[in-house]
Amino acid sequence: MADGPRHGMTAALDTKPVSAPRPLIATEIGLDRFDPLSRIISYDDFNRGTCGWTQLIGNYEGSLDAMLPGFRPITSPMLSTLGHWDTGSHGGMTGSYAMKLATRPFDDAITVALKRLTARKAGPIRLEFYMTFKPEANELMLSQSDVKAIGFLLDLQGGSAGGQRVMPHLRYLNASGGSLQEKWQFKRGFPDFSDIGEAKETVSHFHLGEDGWEDLSGASQQLCYNEIPTKVNWHYVRFDFDLATMTATHFQCNDRVFDLSAFDSIRIPAMKNLWCMLNVCMFVETAADNRAFLYLDSVCLSGDF
Amino acid sequence: MLRESTTAVVARGDVWRGASATEPFEAGWASEAVIFVRALKPPTGAMPLAHVEMSPDGMRWMPEGTTFQMPAERDGIAMVRIAHFGNWLRVATDLPDGAETTVLVTIHLK
Repeated sequence: MADGPRHGMTAALDTKPVSAPRPLIATEIGLDRFDPLSRIISYDDFNRGTCGWTQLIGNYEGSLDAMLPGFRPITSPMLSTLGHWDTGSHGGMTGSYAMKLATRPFDDAITVALKRLTARKAGPIRLEFYMTFKPEANELMLSQSDVKAIGFLLDLQGGSAGGQRVMPHLRYLNASGGSLQEKWQFKRGFPDFSDIGEAKETVSHFHLGEDGWEDLSGASQQLCYNEIPTKVNWHYVRFDFDLATMTATHFQCNDRVFDLSAFDSIRIPAMKNLWCMLNVCMFVETAADNRAFLYLDSVCLSGDF
Repeated sequence: MLRESTTAVVARGDVWRGASATEPFEAGWASEAVIFVRALKPPTGAMPLAHVEMSPDGMRWMPEGTTFQMPAERDGIAMVRIAHFGNWLRVATDLPDGAETTVLVTIHLK
């Protein structure tokens, strides 16, 4: 068990009233494969639909043409049984369906799905999910270097003036230039903004470009790619973030916990209409003229309140 | 249990020239679909028929049998209803030389 309290199992250990366990039927609804904090903010089992996940869109005014180019190829997530031409439906971890993010079929394509929330309390939150990724199996080849990266980010803003918009990014750089990279990266700094439209009421920035990615300390990790493009294995990811201090406190993929001492986020002065924003984004990128797929079996976001 | 329903935007401001199609979309959970194709800008050239296509694997495509006329003016909308489509769906067309249209394609499933 991880260090967070377990629902219905840790009442004697928990002395903080804000962390009091809440009654849950964890086994029935699948939460027992997660280690959530005391409050489940959202639990997305994609056997119950897309659970509020939608495609990212860039800001625009007047015309979709005003959208920054990086946002235009983004596609809609879908419910998938991971059907393969040679073995049929792979299915999810515990049911038939997963949420699938699918890029377009060209090199350096990206797609992003997100869930838009707001925060009730500026305190610790925990994002956990089970994922796997593959290229489209359109060649009878391993295609292990066709997926450039999979990743996630939070898009956060404090609840009062003077705060910041903070965007912690992490991605697993699987491959680039035809070579395997197999390492985790983060992105920090202050991005360039562009005015959108003539009314000057909207700005936009494409924060998922290739620039600015840095390796985590001890970044390398080999994942279970398996032996052909139609075999997939689910991976666990956990990311803890403190909304009070706007700092990351834990990052884990399967059996590896990473050093976050050098980690930081993209930081921007607070924007005029994003108070308490708590968005969770997932993305997948290509490294070949072939579609890349990120599958999410389930996502659990929890908080300590 | 309330019936599942969703709207998916499968082409958003995509410019179609020549052989064009929406990206593959999986909808195996749904038993019926309504597809709308809207021209976001005035199309240029003659607008051809479009086809709904199905696939066994998301890579090889066959006509589902439903055809419709691509919209010939800005904000023109075509609509088709289909059922019994298995899993993968897309809309495909082949625009003649010199023809171009900018489309918004949505699939409504339940």
